[in-house]
Amino acid sequence: MIAALSSEWLKLRTTRTLFWLLVALSALMTLIVVAGVIGSQKHSISSAKDQLDLLGIGSLGIFIALIMGLIVSTGEFRHGTITPTLLATPSRTSIVIAKALAGMFFAVALVGLAEGLVALELAIALPAKGVDFAIQGAPAAGFIGRMLIAAALWGALGSGIGIVLRNQIGAVVASFAWLFIAEGLIIAILHSHAINSNAGRFFPFQATGAILSSGTRNPADLLSHAGGMAALGGWMALFTIAAVVLLSRRDVS
Amino acid sequence: MIAVENLRKRYGKTQAVDGLSFTVEPGRVVGFLGPNGAGKTTTLRILLGLVHANSGDATILGKNYSQLERPFCQVGAVLEASGFHPGRKARNHLRVLARAGHAPEKRVDEVLSQVGLEGAAKKRVGGYSLGMRQRLALASALLGDPGVLILDEPANGLDPEGIRWLRDFLRSLAAEGRAVLISSHVLSEVEQTVDEVVIINKGKLVAHGSVEELKRGKDGRVRVASPQAKALEEKLAKAGFVVSKDGDALLVAGATSAQVGEIAAKSSLVLHELSPLATQLEDVFLDLTSEEKK
Repeated sequence: MIAALSSEWLKLRTTRTLFWLLVALSALMTLIVVAGVIGSQKHSISSAKDQLDLLGIGSLGIFIALIMGLIVSTGEFRHGTITPTLLATPSRTSIVIAKALAGMFFAVALVGLAEGLVALELAIALPAKGVDFAIQGAPAAGFIGRMLIAAALWGALGSGIGIVLRNQIGAVVASFAWLFIAEGLIIAILHSHAINSNAGRFFPFQATGAILSSGTRNPADLLSHAGGMAALGGWMALFTIAAVVLLSRRDVS
Repeated sequence: MIAVENLRKRYGKTQAVDGLSFTVEPGRVVGFLGPNGAGKTTTLRILLGLVHANSGDATILGKNYSQLERPFCQVGAVLEASGFHPGRKARNHLRVLARAGHAPEKRVDEVLSQVGLEGAAKKRVGGYSLGMRQRLALASALLGDPGVLILDEPANGLDPEGIRWLRDFLRSLAAEGRAVLISSHVLSEVEQTVDEVVIINKGKLVAHGSVEELKRGKDGRVRVASPQAKALEEKLAKAGFVVSKDGDALLVAGATSAQVGEIAAKSSLVLHELSPLATQLEDVFLDLTSEEKK
C-alpha cells in the first residue's frame, strides 16, 4: 500500500497537470478577490464576517479538488497506464485506496495553497482600499480547516467517481452536471412532491455547503458541520467501495 | 515456469480462448503465434492477472500473477506500445513503476542503458517514436530484473536494426536462464529468435514444438519449370502429387527433387528448373491455421 501510494504521489508530481491546475486556480482566485474588493463599498467589506465571506472565495478550489481526484483516476484509463499500474500493483483494492489518498493529499495541498493566496491578496487589497484587515485567527482557522476537510473528501470522491466512470471527459461532465444541474433539480422535485423535503441536505453539494457554512442556519435546509462531513464522507465511501468492486471485477484489456 | 492449463475465456458470444494448454520452461524463448483474433493477447493478459478467465489455470512459477510475492520483480511484461503518460519523462515513468513494484530505483538508469534510451531519458514520452516506446516498454519489463518475460508483439514499430537488436537481446536474456514468451506476427523474425513455438487459432492449441520439429512435420515442396509444363503437370498429378502453379513454374507438394526429376526423365520432358523449397515457419503457420479455418 505504501509503495502504491508513493508511486501515486510521484505520478502526480511528474506531469504538468498539477502545476496548471494550480496556475488556473490562482488566476481565478486573484481575479475574484480583486474584483470583489474593488467592486465593493467599503462598508460592505469592513466587518470580520464580510471579510470571512471574501475568504470563502477559496472554496471554489473544491471544484478543482474534484477535478484533481477525477484526473488521478481517469488519466490511467485515458493514457492506458492502468496496465503497467496493475502489473506493478496487482491488488486492485490497494490501487483504489492509494488513489483516494493521493486525491485527498493533492486536493488539500492545492486548496490550501489557493486559500493562502486568497488570504495574502486580501491582506494586501483591503488596506489598499482603505479597509482594515479584520479577519481573526480562530474563525478563519476554523473555516479554512473545514474547507480543507471538504477538499480532501472531494479529492477522494473524484478519484472514486473516476474509476467508476473511467472516461475522463465523461466523468468531468457528469460530475459537474450533477453539482450544477441534477442535484438542484432533484431537490426541487423532492420539495414539490413533498416526498422527503429534507433528503436533499445529504446530497454532496448541499453537504459541502453545510461544512463551509458559517453563522446561523436552518436545520431543515443544511446539516451541521459534522453532519455535512459525515454525509460527504458517506458519498466518498460509497464511490470508493464501488470503485474497488468494479475495478476488481472488470477485465483490463 | 509458465503453465497454461485448459484455459477458457468468453467475451459475449465469442470464445476467445478455448481449452488452451501449454508450458514454457526456464531458459527457453517460446514464440506464441496465431492469426489476428486467435486469443494470444487475451491469454497473455489472463497470465498477468489483467483479464479474468472463465475456467482453467494460468500460472507463473506455480502461482497466479496476483499471488506472487512482488510479481513485478518476478515477471516482466510488454503488452502494448501505449501505457505511457505523454507528459511524463521516460525516466520518471520508470521511477513510478519501480516504486510501485518494489524495484530498486538504481535499476532505472541500468535498464534505460540496456535498451539504448539513456540519451532520451529526460525527454517526455509524448515526443517518442513508436520504436522508442517499444524500447521503453521493454525497459519497464526489465526493471524488476525478472526471471520470466511475457512480451506481446515487442517488435512492433522497431526498424530492421531495432528488430535485430531485439533478437540478440532476447537471446541474451534466455541465455541468462530466463523464460521468454513472445507473441508476434512477424514470423520470419520469430523463426530466428525462438527455441520453440506455440501456435493457436480460434483460442485452441494448433501446434507446440521446436521450429525444426514443426518444419519436419510439414511435407516438402519442389519448384519445377519446364517448357512442357502442361504435360509435366499431368504426369505429376497422375503420380499422386498435388501440383499448383507458381507463375510459369509448378509447385509440387509432398515430393522430393529426385522424384520430380525421375518422372520428367521417364517422359522425356525438358526441365529448366528443379529446386527444393526450404520450408519456412510461415508455411507451417499458414498451413496449420488455414487447416483450422477449414
